[in-house]
Amino acid sequence: MQADELLVLVAGGDQRAFEELYGLVSGPVYGLVRRVVRDPAQSEEVAQEVLLELWRSAARFDPGRGSALSWILTLAHRRAVDRVRSARAAGEREQREALRAEEPAFDQVAEEVEAGLEREWVRRCLNRLTALQRQSVTLAYYDGYTYREVAERLSLPLGTVKTRMRDGLTRLRQCLGGAA
Amino acid sequence: MSILGRLLRGEDLHSLAAPYALDALEPGERRRFEKHLAGCDRCAAEVRDLAEDAVRLAFSAAAPAPAALRDRVLAAVRTTPQEPAQAGRRAVGQERPPAGQGARRLPPHVWGVQPPPGHTRTPRTRPLFVPFATATAAAALVVASLFAVQAHRTGDRLAAEQARAREIAHVLAASDARAARGEDARGRSIGVIASASEREAVVTLSGYGTPPGGRVHQLWLMRPRAQPRSLGLLAGDTPLVAKGIDTSSTSLAVTVEPDGGSAQPTSQPIVQLTLKSVGFGE
Repeated sequence: MQADELLVLVAGGDQRAFEELYGLVSGPVYGLVRRVVRDPAQSEEVAQEVLLELWRSAARFDPGRGSALSWILTLAHRRAVDRVRSARAAGEREQREALRAEEPAFDQVAEEVEAGLEREWVRRCLNRLTALQRQSVTLAYYDGYTYREVAERLSLPLGTVKTRMRDGLTRLRQCLGGAA
Repeated sequence: MSILGRLLRGEDLHSLAAPYALDALEPGERRRFEKHLAGCDRCAAEVRDLAEDAVRLAFSAAAPAPAALRDRVLAAVRTTPQEPAQAGRRAVGQERPPAGQGARRLPPHVWGVQPPPGHTRTPRTRPLFVPFATATAAAALVVASLFAVQAHRTGDRLAAEQARAREIAHVLAASDARAARGEDARGRSIGVIASASEREAVVTLSGYGTPPGGRVHQLWLMRPRAQPRSLGLLAGDTPLVAKGIDTSSTSLAVTVEPDGGSAQPTSQPIVQLTLKSVGFGE
């Protein structure tokens, strides 16, 4: 069964359907959270919150607004970014951040996890973007920076960063094309 | 504001679609943009597309989740209530209602204290308000100790203890969960965490030991114009989960009874605790 159908059953309180949905989405949810949050223990905590929130809030999913997977991963990303930003605000990450290379961590992190087909595609397509497009997209999406912070880090005007983000995502879509 | 200004502002907001899809807006901006989205079909369509692109980035990060996560999530699902379907639909990932009021944060706990009958301790005339963190920490300790005990259990007993831990967690998570505690002059105490809406309570006894001669501690629910109702036997300081508690109930009482318990109390309570401060008896 597809995530969309499962989510509807879950909204009706079906625990079996939730187990099946868990099987489908736990990998993408955990992997994404881990990529953004990085710390394994915190990642697990955030992933758990997200997966439980799916159970609690399944009724909020509106198929008219997009796919279930998109809804779920958007939720996971939002929570992961919230966690990273509050940790950053608390200064916990400052030192580690400073130690990291200025180049966004996308290459380095991509190496850490095993390569899947989708990952290969995305990776290849990310590499086809201009450096600024790629950095704007990955600093925001994988590192949880706001576009203002991205602009600061890349020493670019705000408007330019917004445009790079949009162009980057659009080119990514063109490149990925039918590979969905 | 001039038309030009409004146009410029609209244009500016519109350019936030990509940062929005990447979750790269600050909270204030995010809210403003979501407001704008509600009345801008073009933006909504664009955001939908851009969000799908962003999800491709998410997929490429997939990694196997730890097995323990599955166990925890599925166990939690069994005791976690769902939002009703008519809660109203929201935009993808839109701000959820403040979670603090829901499952995650308990309301401030009230510790009501009533000395057991026949003891000399000066009664407190009003409940004490304790910091939220203190009460929660105490509750967390109860749960933690349960899990620690589990390390030495196997099979059915482990399953039963896990089931009880879930029940306790369920009471703790109720939005109206409150705690009360009574202590006598010798430092022996009874504690309760209860939710009137769930009609459940977790009761612990501390310092009373095991009665001599094979007798047992039995917990009773006292109700107006009704016989005491047995809530079960208390074994040492192991928490007891009581369900289906009438909201009119006035207090809890513990008596010493023959092995196996009694149908009705056969002796005076050794300790009694009012339930008023935890939301019952109204």
